[in-house]
Amino acid sequence: MAPRVGCFLLAVLISASCKVITSSNPMCTEKEANKTYNCENLDLREIPDTLPNTTEFLEFGFNFLPTIQNITFSRLINLIFLDLTRCQINWVREDTFQNHHQLNTIVLTGNPLIFMAETSLTGPKLLKHLFLTQTGISNLEFIPVHNLENLESLHLGSNHISSINLPENFPTQNLKVLDFQNNAIHYISSKDINGLEQATNLSLNFNGNDIKGIEPGAFNSKIFQSLKFGGSLNLSVILKGLQNSTIQSLWLGTFEDTDDQDLTSATFEGLCDMAVESINLQKHHFDGFSPSTFRCFTRLQELDLTAAHLKGLPSGIEGMNSLKKLVLNANSFDQLCQINAASFPSLTDLYVKGNMKKLDLGARCLEKLENLQKLDLSHSDIEASDCCNLQLKNLPHLQYLNLSYNEPLGLEDQAFKECPRLELLDLAFTHLLVKAAQSPFQNLHLLRVLNLSHCLLDTSNRHLLEGLLDLRHLNVQGNHFQDGSISKTNLLQTVSSLEILILSSCDLLSIDQQAFHGLGNMSHLDLSHNSLTGDSMDAFSPLKGLYLNLAANNIRIIPPHLLPALSQQSTINLSHNPLDCTCSNIHFITWYKENLHKLEGSEETVCANPPPLRGVKLSDVKLSCGLTGTGIFFLVVFVFLVIILLIFSVKFLLRWKYQHI
Amino acid sequence: MQVLMAAFLVWSLMSPQGRGTEAWPTHTACRDGSLQVLYQSCDALQDFGFSVDQCPKQLKPNLNIRFGIILREDIEELFLDVALFSKGLSILNFSYPICEADLPKFSFCGRRKGEQIYYAGPINNPGFEIPEGEYQVLLELYTQDRSTVACANATLLCS
Repeated sequence: MAPRVGCFLLAVLISASCKVITSSNPMCTEKEANKTYNCENLDLREIPDTLPNTTEFLEFGFNFLPTIQNITFSRLINLIFLDLTRCQINWVREDTFQNHHQLNTIVLTGNPLIFMAETSLTGPKLLKHLFLTQTGISNLEFIPVHNLENLESLHLGSNHISSINLPENFPTQNLKVLDFQNNAIHYISSKDINGLEQATNLSLNFNGNDIKGIEPGAFNSKIFQSLKFGGSLNLSVILKGLQNSTIQSLWLGTFEDTDDQDLTSATFEGLCDMAVESINLQKHHFDGFSPSTFRCFTRLQELDLTAAHLKGLPSGIEGMNSLKKLVLNANSFDQLCQINAASFPSLTDLYVKGNMKKLDLGARCLEKLENLQKLDLSHSDIEASDCCNLQLKNLPHLQYLNLSYNEPLGLEDQAFKECPRLELLDLAFTHLLVKAAQSPFQNLHLLRVLNLSHCLLDTSNRHLLEGLLDLRHLNVQGNHFQDGSISKTNLLQTVSSLEILILSSCDLLSIDQQAFHGLGNMSHLDLSHNSLTGDSMDAFSPLKGLYLNLAANNIRIIPPHLLPALSQQSTINLSHNPLDCTCSNIHFITWYKENLHKLEGSEETVCANPPPLRGVKLSDVKLSCGLTGTGIFFLVVFVFLVIILLIFSVKFLLRWKYQHI
Repeated sequence: MQVLMAAFLVWSLMSPQGRGTEAWPTHTACRDGSLQVLYQSCDALQDFGFSVDQCPKQLKPNLNIRFGIILREDIEELFLDVALFSKGLSILNFSYPICEADLPKFSFCGRRKGEQIYYAGPINNPGFEIPEGEYQVLLELYTQDRSTVACANATLLCS
């Protein structure tokens, strides 16, 4: 009997101890106190007791909840967002969300749903987003229609749906997004589309469905925000089927892994009978160009021909006067003139990013684009020895120019004279060759943002940034300064309106005390990833209220007289510095603890010295340096005792001496 | 009997704790006479399936692969990092965008967290010949906020 009891007790004890382990085991991560929690991948079978009742946003994906019912989430009545991705849910029972009045989003992606009860989604007053992606749905009747009146988006991708015909009582009046990606829809009938009559500004996604037919007139006088038919094999069927519709944005692109037919002028005939603002034809092949290829594109405002295997666009395209935006990224032009820009006189935005060949900017290729405001020529292997006045001839309204990630560019004096209205210029990772004492940005009076990161600049040229009267944001990350030091006279002194300055990863060893003199408007200064020491702090004394990033430098000790320069800033990041936590830095450590509210990255702000304190957060360091109150007390007592002892011994000595005389 | 029961109880209670700490098994992506490609998932959360249809020493351009995985993240933006090592020395590093908001190259771009995806199709690689030797390849698929979608430690054995 006894061993039996013993075994039983043992089993009880073990199971009890295991319970303790599981409840204190993997914990949900708190992202926002009492509100937002992530409990993903924890093998949970219920809502943990540790979650507060006030939880509003809960990510609970990749756990195990075969059945969800009204007791499952009953405690968390404040839920707004609930993600139950891949929780192996089979059953959604009656009244599961009955008390969750504020619930706005339910994500059920990737659950093998067997049945959802009629009232399984009732309760929430404003249920707006429902994700039923890859839940095995083959029939739309599966979705319980009660309480879907407020639905704005319904995601039904990767199911077995073959017809988009919604049940008759399905409420669609607030629906804005209806996603049918990767289903088995081959035919769209008038009845299907009429079921969506009440929805306005609807976006419909049919990507990854091979649409083989659309009933003629199905889209007659219908209005859509966006329609996507990505990866469809037969575009002419789709364009004919969309007759008499009005569509803001039509996505007809294809993919690397999708077989496609060459596009001809016949493909686009249907486009003449519909009103489309923006069209995307990415990754298609064109079967040559005839004068009639673009016959039906005349009303288009935006055309995206990304990676369309283009070597050029034909000259003399007529009637594309209203085109505002043209995207020609990832094609194979040899020369910019091959796009025959003159065909698009109203163009405001032109993108020729990521050209597959070395792109020659040529001369005057864009001169007919007088209205151009935005030009992106990044990642296109562009190389030019004297840029950019001939190349960018006559672009008086250009505001945004991106020439980043190109081959070396030689910038002449006043290199952007032809685009005097530039507001943003991005030259990051493009090696710039500027002759000594020249000012390439001269006359860019309206330029507000200039990105010169990793441009291998000659920073000793003090005239480099001359003429930038309104520059607010300057990025010079990854450039080098002579002797690793910013001296008293430097190139920043001509840009006095600067608000944001990024000088990270510039291998800086020191900054002169007066280097930032005259930059009184500065509000954000990033000096991270350099080798600055505490002695450079003086440079901030003319500046106030800065966001100051000094992370990953070589700061060990900050002398007390430099602390006021830090005190007057609003936020400071000192993380990843080899900070000294000995008594020689006590003033700084005291200051640090008093100013914790101003410090960013305090988790990573740790001591490097002395060795016993290495890795300890600065905010946790307790140092006692010099004499403390008790120390002084004991010292006084000790001295007092010594004096008394001395007096007594002298007395004794004298008495002894006199006695022996 | 009871002792056995208790032991079983202890074992069954303790065993789930050990799960997940073990490494995922090593799989063969392809084996073709002189070339063999082995891989192992380095994502602590899950394994994935991968195979290459043919892998002769002289790699053909536009190889066909098969790939099956459960997505732990939305992949509207997806990038691939490849690091190639031989004898412990780094030979090649590159980063390649697979899905971008303005250029979804593949049909699976834009699919969502929790979706199971199976891809069988071309990968648009250049053709090249693999010199003899043993190579280590670290492959990582990640999203715009640097969350891992898949991670593989692969070994190429070429003789």
